[in-house]
Amino acid sequence: MAYARPCGDFKTSYAQDVALLDVRLYRVGFLLLVAGLLAAPWLLGRWLFLLNDIAIFAIGATGLSLVMGFAGQISLGHAAFMAVGAYTSWFVTAELRWPFVVALPASGLVAFVVGAVVGLPSLRIKGLYLAIATLAFQFLVEYLIVQTVSGMGGTPVPPMDLLGVPVNTEVRFYYLALAVWVGGAVLATNLTRTRVGLALMAVRDRDYAAQVLGVNLLYYKTLAFALGAAYAGVAGSLFAHYNRVIGAEHFSLAQSIDYVAMLVIGGLGSVWGPHLGAAFVRSLTQVLKIAAPLLAATVPMLGRATTSLREVVFGAILIALLIWEPGGLATLIRKLKRYVDLWPFPH
Amino acid sequence: MTPQFILEGTVVGLAVGSIYALIAVGFAVLYKSTKILNLAHGELVLFGGYLAIALTTAAGSLPVPVAFALGVAGTLVAAAVLGFGVERAVMRPLFGQPLLSVIIVTLALGYVIRGIMVGIWSGETRTFPPVVPPVTVRVASVPVPLVGVWSAAAAVALLVLLTLFFRYTRWGVSMRAAANEQLTASSLGVSLRRVFAYAWAFAAITGAVGGILLGLWLGVNFALAAVGLKALAALILGGLDSIPGAILGGLAVGVLETIVGGYIDAHVRLFGHPLHGFKEVTAYLVILLVLMIRPYGLFGTEHIERL
Repeated sequence: MAYARPCGDFKTSYAQDVALLDVRLYRVGFLLLVAGLLAAPWLLGRWLFLLNDIAIFAIGATGLSLVMGFAGQISLGHAAFMAVGAYTSWFVTAELRWPFVVALPASGLVAFVVGAVVGLPSLRIKGLYLAIATLAFQFLVEYLIVQTVSGMGGTPVPPMDLLGVPVNTEVRFYYLALAVWVGGAVLATNLTRTRVGLALMAVRDRDYAAQVLGVNLLYYKTLAFALGAAYAGVAGSLFAHYNRVIGAEHFSLAQSIDYVAMLVIGGLGSVWGPHLGAAFVRSLTQVLKIAAPLLAATVPMLGRATTSLREVVFGAILIALLIWEPGGLATLIRKLKRYVDLWPFPH
Repeated sequence: MTPQFILEGTVVGLAVGSIYALIAVGFAVLYKSTKILNLAHGELVLFGGYLAIALTTAAGSLPVPVAFALGVAGTLVAAAVLGFGVERAVMRPLFGQPLLSVIIVTLALGYVIRGIMVGIWSGETRTFPPVVPPVTVRVASVPVPLVGVWSAAAAVALLVLLTLFFRYTRWGVSMRAAANEQLTASSLGVSLRRVFAYAWAFAAITGAVGGILLGLWLGVNFALAAVGLKALAALILGGLDSIPGAILGGLAVGVLETIVGGYIDAHVRLFGHPLHGFKEVTAYLVILLVLMIRPYGLFGTEHIERL
């Protein structure tokens, strides 16, 4: 079969119509992707930490994509939910001395409840006003962290232990994070094509109209926030045990805004968006972090300016990307898919 | 809470608040005419502060007031150029694109501006040469640094100027028209491009003036960028699309954080711990409460929903 989507590829059942990977090419491609991710420790070697970092933030970004991309509620407090998860995980493992297997779902659950509470104002406050309300939550959490547990420094988190197996290397952590990442992504993708996702999209497009059509706004808006927060909580728990120390600066407003940037760069309202965006933003951050000292070493004239060069390059790449393709990376992928579907004809 | 404490708080708060109000007005003008929430506003404030200090210091051989005047004039011109440049180079290609993408672009722009500034001026706190004598004067029997009085006066003067501009000049009127209804204004011959360019220049100029005033008072360092966010909070309190709301919101945030935040900082103890730094959170908490009662801020236009 020479073409990705042959002529006369009619769908004859509902199951075929809603299938996530509807053509053989995509199924093969997805399998190759999963195989590549499974083989990543051998392919990447000591660069595996990049993928670990991406995995953690992609899980968080998936949550934000439910809130912002699908339910259309702007949230500037996503890193605060991550903090809730991270500190729950710390409390469960360090203070209660329960195993990590309990801490991970517990972080998700606590963040879920907190998210539902924070989501309540979204019934009354909308758009940018809601963004500021979530900003208030963000500042409050940062303030609480500094005032209560961590102070200005950090809180050490005990090492991870998965049912007796210590998760103490990058490779072990990678497989744990990968399992959570893929599981979370599949769950979110399935959510978006079932009742919940359709209701959320109706709320996004016009909440008033959705209400008239029988979508319970109270339920779905708080559910969106709660689910998004739960993802962030799980990401926070993984982050806490990966980084081994957590403090207010890890869950700052800058991080929350970075999440929004990931989502917009990846593409709003797309299931691939948060993963692409997280991969792009995190790898760009890490690569610039590594490249800046190298540059300073080779061109000593630049000296101190290289640290700020990182910010400038990061910002400039974001601007260039969004001017080139305001819909984000997911739109680029969609265009590529269309090209592959139609190949070798132009249209 | 003694009456004296409240009086002091009100006076000092109004002085700080007038600067917030000025920055918030820049925000509001930009939001009203372009519907863009500018996340680089804090950086524009920093830009003004740093550039003015650098120019004033560079002209150090002249008498201080002259050097300062030159520095301020240079900064204002530079800010206007920056505003026009940003609109032309970055915002115009994004005209009509999804709002969130544009907002993230302003954020990235903030990174670029800040990165360049850190590269040039590094991170330390910088202060003006002594432009205003460091004395305190008594306003309503409350001691206030003279700088505070000056900056409040300057902010008020600028606000009046802006009001007159919007009321009586041709460009002011077309900007208001565009803010009211873009399409109608456009079909009546208002050049939206030019309105957007002016709006960006305004945002940059008011931000820069705010930066200069805050710099005179406290010195400039990179923590000052948070003022941009506080101005945003003030704007939300007043109602996003209301310029009088932005002014009142700025003053209210200044007074509230000085009185309530200052009181809690100094006197309230929770489980025996003093609550340091509560001042920074107060404004946001108050805004959360206000928004629960009035979801469109105090003076924002209520969006009536119909199908």
